[in-house]
Amino acid sequence: MNLALVDPFVLAQDCPEVLTGRLPGSGHSTAIRFSHHGDLLASGRVDGIISIFDIETNGVARKLRGHTRQVQSLSWSATDRYLLSASQDWKCVLWDLKDGSRLRIVRMEAPIFIAELHPKNHMLFVAAVFEDQPVLVDISSEVPVKRTLPTAPKRSQIERDNATEKQAAQDAKQTTTVTVFTPSGEHILAGTNKGWLNIIDTATRQLQYSTRLTNYLIILLRLTPSGRDLLVNSTDRIVRTLHLPDLTDPKLDFENLRLEVEHKFQDLVQKLSWNHVSFSPTGEYVTASTWMNHHIYVWERGQGSLVKILEGPKEELSVVEWHPHRPFVAAVGVDSGRIYLWSILQPQRWSALAPDFAEVEENVEYIEREDEFDIQPLEELHKRRLDQEDEEVDVLTVEPVKDSVDGEEGGGGVKEFTMPILLNVEESDSEDEVVAVGAGQFRRRSPGVGKEWMNDEENGPVASGDEVTRNGTGAAVNGTGTRKRKAG
Amino acid sequence: MDGVHDIPGKRPRSPEDEGMEDAPPTKRSSSHSPPEPSLYSPMPPYNATNNAGDDSDNDPYYQSRTRSRSRTQSPSRSISHHSRSLSPSTPPPSKPTELHYKQTLILRGHKKAVSAVKFSPNGRWIASASADATIKIWDASTGALTYTLEGHLAGINTISWSPDSTILASGSDDKSIRLWDMTTGQAHPVPFIGHHNYVFSIAFSPKGNMLVSGSYDEAIFLWDVRAARVMRSLPAHSDPVGGVDFVRDGTLIVSCANDGLIRVWDTATGQCLRTLVHEDNAPVTSVRFSPNGKYILAWTLDSCIRLWNYVDGKGRCVKTYQGHVNTKYSLAGCFGVYGSPPLQQYAFVASGSEDNSIVVWDVSSKNVLQRLEGHTGVVMGVDTHPNEQAIVSGGLDRTVRVWRYREDAVETVTAHLAAS
Repeated sequence: MNLALVDPFVLAQDCPEVLTGRLPGSGHSTAIRFSHHGDLLASGRVDGIISIFDIETNGVARKLRGHTRQVQSLSWSATDRYLLSASQDWKCVLWDLKDGSRLRIVRMEAPIFIAELHPKNHMLFVAAVFEDQPVLVDISSEVPVKRTLPTAPKRSQIERDNATEKQAAQDAKQTTTVTVFTPSGEHILAGTNKGWLNIIDTATRQLQYSTRLTNYLIILLRLTPSGRDLLVNSTDRIVRTLHLPDLTDPKLDFENLRLEVEHKFQDLVQKLSWNHVSFSPTGEYVTASTWMNHHIYVWERGQGSLVKILEGPKEELSVVEWHPHRPFVAAVGVDSGRIYLWSILQPQRWSALAPDFAEVEENVEYIEREDEFDIQPLEELHKRRLDQEDEEVDVLTVEPVKDSVDGEEGGGGVKEFTMPILLNVEESDSEDEVVAVGAGQFRRRSPGVGKEWMNDEENGPVASGDEVTRNGTGAAVNGTGTRKRKAG
Repeated sequence: MDGVHDIPGKRPRSPEDEGMEDAPPTKRSSSHSPPEPSLYSPMPPYNATNNAGDDSDNDPYYQSRTRSRSRTQSPSRSISHHSRSLSPSTPPPSKPTELHYKQTLILRGHKKAVSAVKFSPNGRWIASASADATIKIWDASTGALTYTLEGHLAGINTISWSPDSTILASGSDDKSIRLWDMTTGQAHPVPFIGHHNYVFSIAFSPKGNMLVSGSYDEAIFLWDVRAARVMRSLPAHSDPVGGVDFVRDGTLIVSCANDGLIRVWDTATGQCLRTLVHEDNAPVTSVRFSPNGKYILAWTLDSCIRLWNYVDGKGRCVKTYQGHVNTKYSLAGCFGVYGSPPLQQYAFVASGSEDNSIVVWDVSSKNVLQRLEGHTGVVMGVDTHPNEQAIVSGGLDRTVRVWRYREDAVETVTAHLAAS
């Protein structure tokens, strides 16, 4: 509702300009993701804890404990009620943010690169795992159903006929490094370690289309909310953007489909490699954080030119994420694990401070109105003014909010989820590395403290039977320092 | 929530108190069980003598501190009542020209004047704050006292419900803001400390994650509710801040002060986006956004309530409601609806008055739809039920009264005496 009052020049800006702050709080963040509404930011940490930040208050709204190792990827459900996290402890957890409970825990056979929720069904996700086939996991029942997805690229008939044994062996050795759903959820885009892009049908789990984008490993695939633009980061130090056809179109002929790379963004001089890439909400801009460098590069896709280098803190940045509908970028520092925020600075407009103020570019000569200093009887003036107040006013009708992001699914009857406000979040927020032990005295927190919950796993639903034994060994490996066990 | 039937330990339970109302204090189900005769003694129609004492006006504490504006006003100006222009324009035939709210409950129990009353957003409870430093929570349908919240060290000026009705926030003359858990009736252990003077007005954001507070120290603070810390301080006014409110989507805050200014703020950046001022510069004591967030309703100490369109141009006053008396106290009121929704839905404005009545105006025609008589002191706070046709009011006569829309002329007033 504030849009009508905000300076139109400020609203016209669509690219963040300056470092405006950082999220407070403790912990070394490794993965961040904005919720679809943009009011929450999930941050997964080195110690496996996930903090949900409220972007409006810059405070922690909820903490989710359940992972024992670094959080690798995060994915929100469409309503923002559920969050899927994947961690280096080989587990994926589906969290219900209504009460912070672990709805499902899925154990994988290998470390997970990325796990993504289906955009319309939060009980289905796709995960790319280390040196293994990607899996589509159905978690609608307590026991997860894992279905493997193909990796070996789909060859045309001629290629198949001419295929040598060597090529077939190479195809079989390919592994998928990244998987994402298209916004409709009908297809999965997958990138392989040999630079292939695969399009997989979600329902049939069959490869529909394959194309080779590069000879190097594909690190990350990103899509715009429309699903028509694809962003590819690979180890050849080039960020590519592609236009996709409408994959939901039933008339689409995958046989004759050819994907053209639209832009290749790279730094030819310094040969920078890119840690993480993301689209702006409309796909108009592409941002990338750089390896061994402190900057965030922003390219504009119309011309394919570099428009801005966001100066940041004095450390390398890993994950960089763009807010779903504001010119607002968050990025994580590699060394400190802090979350930095870039935005637009809005100067105070002085004309707003009094109704008779006006901002002028140059001096304006004041021209007196004809009747400005006429003396009129006060009573009459009041009466006339009151008589003028004859318009119909509508104080009740709420105008539908035009929201570029929710526009598509808005009005679908989905009840909006708001997370309950927890008043005691901060009390548990004492995971800082350093604790005060006296006046001016500090010591490092012993590593095991505050992780007692690891030892009573039976609180949550456990997916596979080998959970207990694995947990036992995991704790033994983890417990390098003093460990307090919960009595009883 | 339904399982909570334990009486909070803080609540004083004197023996006669026990005798007066044995079970009902914790009775929270909204079943309309017939009232027990000992509990609800039938009362004569409302202008009956109030033997609880009408000396609230002489209450030195209340006079000197709680919300009575010290700003001296030249009487001549404030008295210069613009003769009410009840335009004789005939309203559309289907639109009712008067309302028939009847008093149904009198809730007694506060030991000093009642400063604010609010229905909970789920319509289940009534919260009333008083100069006696307590808040009482009443069942909205039966009038039974559910909780008495004690903890503030001085009189309470303002209360606000969180959107999910689980938390009640209160601002007090002891400079603190407290949160109360409605599932347990207990105070949140961490009060919001930061204001240097009386807290006059508070409002929850629509999501419940933020709280805005206006104080006699001329500051407006924006609080992070979860962490109980000040997120932002707005350099708002040069006189005590009278009222604050959030717009329905939480992106704007409105504030008003004794300096006569109404300011609209951007919640995200803390910047002033608009300033509204009426040329008389009368102190603005209370302010509210309209239900759709397009207008601002402001109470001024020249016995006017003005409706501002704050979006168009530089903002302009579109309606002036007159007919009540307001020259001294920070009265509060609210919007309500009448007619037969959803086809014929009209809005009204209801406000307390210093002539002991509640005045209800039609928003568009500015005609007085009804005057609710019954209070024996200044009516400080008025609120409408979120989905029923009910109004609650509280005032200097120490009572909280509930009015319901009744077409029939039968007046059935039940008085409920709680913990007197």
